[in-house]
Amino acid sequence: MDGSGDLAFPALVAARLLLAFAPLPDALKYDQQLSSPLTSYSRLREGIYLFQHGIDPYSGGAFRHSPSLLSLFSTVLPLTPYTSPILWTAADAVAAWALVRIWRLRTGAKETSRDGQIAALYLLNPYIFLPSLALSTSSIESMLCLLAVMFACRGRASAALFALACLVQLSLPAVLLAAPIILLTVTRPVSRLALPQPYHAQWKRIIPLLAEFVGYTALLTFASTVVCGNWLWVEKTWGATLTLPDLTPNPGLWWYFFTEMFDHFRPFFLMVFSVHLLIYIAPLCIKFQHDFLYATFLLLGVQALFKPYPTLSDPGLFLSMFSIFPEIYPYLRHPIVTALIHLHASLLLPLFNSLWLRQGTGNANFFYASTLVFGMGNGAALMDAIWAGLRVAVGELKEGYEVAQE
Amino acid sequence: MLNFVKWLCLALCLVIYAQAEPVAEFFGRQSSSHTNNWAVLVCASRYWFNYRHMANALGMYRTVKRLGIPDSNIILMLADDVACNPRNKFPGCVYSSSAKTLDLYGDNIEVDYRGYEVTVENFLRVLTGRVEPSVPRSKRLLTDDRSNVFIYMTGHGGNEFLKFQDSEEISAFDIADAVAQMWEKKRYNELFFMIDTCQANTMYSKFYSPNVLATGSSLIHENSYSHENDRDIGVAVIDSYTHYVLQFMEGINKTSQATMQDLFDTYDPEKINSHPGVRSDLFPRSLRDALVTDFFGGVAQAEVLLPPEGSGDAHFSTVRTTDDASEVGADDRSDITGDTAHDFDVTGGLDSRPFLAAIIDGHDTTLDRTARAWASSAIVLLLVGWIASRK
Repeated sequence: MDGSGDLAFPALVAARLLLAFAPLPDALKYDQQLSSPLTSYSRLREGIYLFQHGIDPYSGGAFRHSPSLLSLFSTVLPLTPYTSPILWTAADAVAAWALVRIWRLRTGAKETSRDGQIAALYLLNPYIFLPSLALSTSSIESMLCLLAVMFACRGRASAALFALACLVQLSLPAVLLAAPIILLTVTRPVSRLALPQPYHAQWKRIIPLLAEFVGYTALLTFASTVVCGNWLWVEKTWGATLTLPDLTPNPGLWWYFFTEMFDHFRPFFLMVFSVHLLIYIAPLCIKFQHDFLYATFLLLGVQALFKPYPTLSDPGLFLSMFSIFPEIYPYLRHPIVTALIHLHASLLLPLFNSLWLRQGTGNANFFYASTLVFGMGNGAALMDAIWAGLRVAVGELKEGYEVAQE
Repeated sequence: MLNFVKWLCLALCLVIYAQAEPVAEFFGRQSSSHTNNWAVLVCASRYWFNYRHMANALGMYRTVKRLGIPDSNIILMLADDVACNPRNKFPGCVYSSSAKTLDLYGDNIEVDYRGYEVTVENFLRVLTGRVEPSVPRSKRLLTDDRSNVFIYMTGHGGNEFLKFQDSEEISAFDIADAVAQMWEKKRYNELFFMIDTCQANTMYSKFYSPNVLATGSSLIHENSYSHENDRDIGVAVIDSYTHYVLQFMEGINKTSQATMQDLFDTYDPEKINSHPGVRSDLFPRSLRDALVTDFFGGVAQAEVLLPPEGSGDAHFSTVRTTDDASEVGADDRSDITGDTAHDFDVTGGLDSRPFLAAIIDGHDTTLDRTARAWASSAIVLLLVGWIASRK
């Protein structure tokens, strides 16, 4: 298996590259499940075009990508029909490599038999390769996220925090991951789920790391402001996550709720939904203080479920990361139900989207219902992961004993 | 003495009229200055035996829709529903000829005022715009001062009156006053009034506001007759005057350059069995300049924008319209003299430079932008390099 592991990764990447250059319908680029207003490739191209012709891309409402993407793709990495698929396949390949390295660091082994499997579970996951084929920048976000986690597992704080700062530039909800990644940097990624120990607070090490993260964010914000020449981009990119101006349908749970919202309730519910994301950080980090990699994994699940503008790649990342925690598999309570709900939702989402928007025989409620099913699938996966992660610590039960939460 | 004054005035009018045509031709053709078209089509009589009045209104409805006025700009008032009348042998269908080749009712019509809603009060409220706040937009005449309005009325009428619903009547004075109110409130650019009833020409005799062109189907003391009876339906299905007008309209499409004078020239009192009349004294343009589509159609005149000079941006491409009428219109615009001339440049389109100047940031040159983009990328890449070199 070791030999095939060496060949598996290049083979998968080659297969993905072939798929990326296949003559696929352009409809994928405009599919609402695969890209959101914050990640759409067509909007990125439009913003770069406007920028190159002297019109501020942030003066309209179409371009919501980060200015760092604007500068990178208009200077160093030009976007053409040939380079874009290569870039996106490379992003996925780097992400898969990072995932395999996280796995290796978790098990402590230089090479394992499951490496090829893990790379395959990432690269062949339809939730991940479909947005990548649609050239949605959420693939780049997933790559940065996995890189940050990988560097944190290795203990390279600067690299991890810089990757996280880049990720926050692209997607504000990633700031959820700051706490567990910083804490992961100072602890070891090795699985301690079965043997929980209280975390010995080393605040002397945490505060400088936090300051470093804030510093990187500030530097990248400065670089973004240099590109734009003004501060309009903040309101259009990060502000979009907080104020939800664009109600384009996506597989998330926010858009339908806010289409029905009366205006005078909007600020309140925007605040509630945003703070809702933040309330998961402390409990998950405290409960899983013995294994911060697992806490990061769970917070990725929370982000995938409750993000303002998700695409399929966010829950895709969460589901692919299940592969690096095999110790919880025996303790998952309803894996088949979760898998079936996901199958159900993944078939219904494009179907109802088409019925509503292309054929006109359905309405928005159909698609909303399918996003609810999808949310249920993600929620079921998240809850099962939390349960299993805690249940591992209890281990095998003796006769007559039951597991109860204190 | 009075007689002499009358004849003197008539002589003067004749002299002036004789000069009018060469004068008009001297200034060239005047095209209409409207930007949108509206139609108010009223069938004022109910009951099964007035099938032909419903068919008249529906025939006009179909014509104006075909020539481009959208449903949102049409107010259709039908005092009764003959399509779904239990006496209708062809349920859901309204025919205007016994050949029954064309169903005027179809499956895509929008009747705004139906049945008992068609009253004199509602008609006048629609025209003047004095409607209750609760009246929906589809039932309002939302015209502005650049709208050309076509009003068509049909039913039973007489000397300066038109009967609504067999219970009330509207007089020529009422309509004239309503149209005058419309002029005061700047609710029309030009108005075309067509009426098919008995003694119809009396109904337009009282107009006094400008820019009104009117035509009717019969003189005072003269009846308008129906055209055709249908054996199966059992009643007359179309009126003579409207039938011949619609026949003329079938030869018109959106690009047609046929003028109102052409329409009026087809009036044949022998065939119609009555003497149709035209009132054009309040109409500012010559009838040879007023296109039929100015009132019956919703033809849009497109402006062709040229790319801006100077910045040499080839990516702002012009949109050429394939509509023949508008291309002719564009050429005609160069003939317009007067205070609108300075808005057009020599080729006849609007100047796009101010528009582009507003959105392009002038002090942000290409060099600036690329420099900033490279600076930003450089910062990011330097950071990456520095972090890679640490530890």
